[in-house]
Amino acid sequence: MTAEHPDHPHGHSHEDHDHAHAPHPTREDDDVALGAGEAKFLALKSLLIDKGLLTADEIRQRHEINDRGTPHQGARMVAKAWVDPAFKARMLRDGKAAARELGIEVTEADLMVIENTPQRHNLIVCTLCSCYPRSLLGEPPAWYVSKAYRSRAVREPRKVLREFGLVIPVTVEVQVHDSNADLRYIVLPMRPPGTEGMGESELAALVSRDCLVGAALPGKPSGAAA
Amino acid sequence: MAERLITDIGGLPAGEVPRQEAPPLFWQKHMLAMFNVLWSNGILNLDEYRRTMEEMSPEDYNRSTFYGRRLDGMIELLVEKGLIDRAELGARTDDILRKGTRDHAG
Amino acid sequence: MPAESKAAYAPGDRVRILDLGKPGHVRTPVYARNKVGIIDRYCGRFENPEERAYGRVGRARIPLYRVRLRQRDLWTDYEGAEADTLVLEIYDHWLRPV
Repeated sequence: MTAEHPDHPHGHSHEDHDHAHAPHPTREDDDVALGAGEAKFLALKSLLIDKGLLTADEIRQRHEINDRGTPHQGARMVAKAWVDPAFKARMLRDGKAAARELGIEVTEADLMVIENTPQRHNLIVCTLCSCYPRSLLGEPPAWYVSKAYRSRAVREPRKVLREFGLVIPVTVEVQVHDSNADLRYIVLPMRPPGTEGMGESELAALVSRDCLVGAALPGKPSGAAA
Repeated sequence: MAERLITDIGGLPAGEVPRQEAPPLFWQKHMLAMFNVLWSNGILNLDEYRRTMEEMSPEDYNRSTFYGRRLDGMIELLVEKGLIDRAELGARTDDILRKGTRDHAG
Repeated sequence: MPAESKAAYAPGDRVRILDLGKPGHVRTPVYARNKVGIIDRYCGRFENPEERAYGRVGRARIPLYRVRLRQRDLWTDYEGAEADTLVLEIYDHWLRPV
């Protein structure tokens, strides 16, 4: 049985990268052999350029814009909401406008921030494809776009969360948000106890990418596989 | 009841959620940027793009990878719009594979 | 530009998500069809993806709502808590008042 899983974006080994807070690498993959998928992409690109439908510069510029999206941007919004109740209120009312206050340009139609409370834990999924606030957070993790997550998160969210090492008490409601149309979502997790007196950047460091989807809690590991 | 789209999988049985981290490669991000440019240049839109991926056969969809179907969906859509020729794309692809080098400078 | 009329539904309204039996590109998942839920919020007006998917762009914008359902109403074998819910976005023409 091949090691390639249909949901994994590539079939070769990959160096460990901590993408949590660092900018994305933009160097080309000269250390990875040219495969069939990349060759097809390069062929398509050259064809489209020759037909005048786009230019290499346009693609490069857009790639750079897309690279601005990182989980750290979401973490900054959460940290500020934790220390500034008025900002939190604005963020819950209008996520795009709140992001813009921090110099973050969200380009999706709408950004809705969903608050975790002692009564309710929120989990985000896109069952139909892979909708995700990319301009804010960058590309979603492989697990988020996997068929297994898209199928099971709506039907057995607590079981999925347990696989992530997160057990939500039955006294707390689990609310799943299927991002199936025009809105994009992030979760505003609760501020962990014992963080009083921490500054915004310290607090942001507690908020991982998985916290913003509802698959982890801040300041605690999500039980990630190796 | 209407037929279920191949992508409409909410609630279907599935196995464990794969947790292996797999950050996109440079060319995969370049491909997504290329889609964004085609969209902002008015050549296609996101809804058409989703629709072409939904039109894959179940067999093709089940064995497709995330970036694989994004690339193939874009190609199908551009062929549908008469903007590219499949044979010419195939020839260029073979050419690039034969040379074995990249040219991201475009 | 089409006039902005009042949204048909308000938060708290009970609605049924229809199964329109419509072929082709739709954004209403099968798991939610023929289910009854509550309007969570009105999201505004957006172009209909069922039109845009076939190149018909710039058409009339239609209302979009977040609809909240009880998980136990969605799945007969739901194993989670009684209070668990799911919210998804449904376009106006897929809804009827209950």
